[in-house]
Amino acid sequence: MKRKYVNIVIKQVVLAVLALIWLVPIIWLVVTSFSAYNGRNTSTFFPSEWSLTQYEKLLTGADTVANFPAWFMNTLIIAIATCVISTLFVLMVAYAFACMDFRGSKGLQNLSVIVNLFPGVLSMIAVYFVLKSVGLTNSHLGLILVYSGSSGLGYLIAKGFFGTVPKALQEAAKLDGASEARCFIQVVLPMSRPIIVYTIISSFLVPWMDFVYAKMILNAGVSSQWTVAIGLYNMLDKSLINTYFGQFCAGGVLISIPISILYIIMQKFYVEGVTGGAVKG
Amino acid sequence: MNKLKSGFGAVGRFFADFGHAIADGDIFVKLSLVWFGAGYLGRKQYIKAIIMTALEALIIAYTVLVGIPYISDFGTLGTVQQESVFNMVTMQNEFNDYDNSFMILLFSVITLVVWAFTIYIWMYNVKNVYRLQKDQEHGKHVNNFLEDLNDYINQKFYIVLLALPIAGVVIFTVVPLIIMIFVAFTNYDQNHMPPSALFDWVGLDNFINLFGGGGMTVSFGYAFVRVLGWTLVWSFFATLTTYFGGILMALLVNGKTTMWKPMWRVLFMITIAVPQFVSLLLVRNFFADNGIMNTILQNIGLTGFLQDIGLISNNYIPFLTAPGWAHVMIIIINIWIGVPYQMLIANGVLMNIPSEQLESASIDGANSWQTFWNITMPYVFSVTGPALVTDFVKNINNFNVIYLLTSNFYTTTDQAMANSQAKETDLLVTWLFTLTQDYYNYKMAATIGIVIFVICAVFTLVAFNRVVARTGEGDFA
Repeated sequence: MKRKYVNIVIKQVVLAVLALIWLVPIIWLVVTSFSAYNGRNTSTFFPSEWSLTQYEKLLTGADTVANFPAWFMNTLIIAIATCVISTLFVLMVAYAFACMDFRGSKGLQNLSVIVNLFPGVLSMIAVYFVLKSVGLTNSHLGLILVYSGSSGLGYLIAKGFFGTVPKALQEAAKLDGASEARCFIQVVLPMSRPIIVYTIISSFLVPWMDFVYAKMILNAGVSSQWTVAIGLYNMLDKSLINTYFGQFCAGGVLISIPISILYIIMQKFYVEGVTGGAVKG
Repeated sequence: MNKLKSGFGAVGRFFADFGHAIADGDIFVKLSLVWFGAGYLGRKQYIKAIIMTALEALIIAYTVLVGIPYISDFGTLGTVQQESVFNMVTMQNEFNDYDNSFMILLFSVITLVVWAFTIYIWMYNVKNVYRLQKDQEHGKHVNNFLEDLNDYINQKFYIVLLALPIAGVVIFTVVPLIIMIFVAFTNYDQNHMPPSALFDWVGLDNFINLFGGGGMTVSFGYAFVRVLGWTLVWSFFATLTTYFGGILMALLVNGKTTMWKPMWRVLFMITIAVPQFVSLLLVRNFFADNGIMNTILQNIGLTGFLQDIGLISNNYIPFLTAPGWAHVMIIIINIWIGVPYQMLIANGVLMNIPSEQLESASIDGANSWQTFWNITMPYVFSVTGPALVTDFVKNINNFNVIYLLTSNFYTTTDQAMANSQAKETDLLVTWLFTLTQDYYNYKMAATIGIVIFVICAVFTLVAFNRVVARTGEGDFA
């Protein structure tokens, strides 16, 4: 009996140590954001002087380098547009492949696997030129198109879920005279809440988490046009880091809080979607 | 294999039906080979006839006005260099009517896609018209336009659902990919930038250059072998460490005797919930040469000790700035980023372990260690085995971790690497990105891209066949 308690205690201690290791950089991010010193604090882990100046500068003192409020709005607009288009695309493709039987369904799905094998960065170079030739580089519309254009390829998880919606329900609806479209909107979608929420959140998060594509498309030096990712990345340029590291941390904290919350909610719905099935709906 | 067969079967049937339609079709069916609307006109489906005729007119107009002029230059990628010419009328310097190699490439590819689509529509249309003829002959009801529309929210609803997403994929993925594949066979680089200069086909030169032949002054072969080697080493370790780390962490967090499970789970998840451009950029400053980690290690004397035994030559540890150190650190930092992610996946799998097996094992007197090795691990592996392969491929293309940790931070001292704009810590993808973004070397970037694709495709195919064959119909099916 005694050995068992020791075991439990050891386990908690191991977990606590691991959690501490995992959180050290995050803690450093948070404490540095409350530092009065602008640059990188290299001598002590905790700032020598606490203050809210970094947040104040970040939110009110927009200059040619740092324009966090504008970045945030840019990213928000891009994220909302991307989210709407991507969610529609993903759900539509997933329904077609999961619930409808048509010639070429298998072939198209196999093709999508092959297309997914190419590194996204590769096609992005050419996309950049295509967008440039129609004047959409350095525009938010261009970035939205890049994020959502090929989003139909990410249908697998939603397809798996739609596959678990009982076929009998769909057939019953069709016997009652419902069209395939009605069956999609009024039978399958209402039963798929977890996976819809998952799809919405995950596509909303794409522009917040992405760095590569934004850097490629928004490559002109107009800082008010940037997204949060590019802006924060730029703050750590060798010539800027000593003035902006504190603001970088403040921006990192501000952006991470809503995103982390959304991410954790998304995981909950993902687990629900993958393990729960639709029967209880 | 079966999938492949059924795929070919469907294509074969499509062509066979088309042949039948031409052979047995009446005058309207045959007419619709040249005039898309003819068949519908014959069955009094006027609206459809108009739509199809308009579509045909549109395609022909595009082909004549845009397609053919560009396609005809495809073989040379343009011959007229941009020049500034003095115009006597306007008294200004103006550009001549120059060719733009990239536009020629772009519109040629678009035209090819349009033509492929046209051929499909053309065959599909003939088959359709033939079916109408059959229906009429057998006295079956021929749909009017509204009924046809109604089909699109019923058995043809998939066309409505898939049209836009597929168009998106074609425009934003397929066409660009084809263009980049073509670029790998051209000399499109800094010295050949349209519109001011033309680029041209060069055959396999870029591949020869990349694989070390050709005797070029810029030795891409030297960098390629090293970057490829590191890419594979990185993917191997990144995949294995996070995979097993994730399972161990999940077992720890989900263990029967663990208290406050949700709290631990959320704590570990915070690392992956923070955007990588924040967490990774932060971590790289944490481990900077004059960063906080080095200060701490100096204070506790570890740096001095390492210096004494000759492991490091300066008074700091070059965590992310020296080869070797950087390679190890990148893999360690990736554990920090990747293990919680794998833990989430493993969590789901562990929850679904058939409890009868665990029970019968404990009845048979197995201890927890035996249960772990003989039941838990085989089960977890059978479920997540295929994911190991996809993870490996994902890590080959893991742009974020490498780029955010090393760009503008790690500088190579190897002149031969620097000559081809590579670093020891570069993966193929990050090298590709640097080549395009900073050096406009599109030809080599495209060539590297094709190599990445081949590697990913080979791994996926071989490994999937193995893993699926071994575990697919295994004990836990």
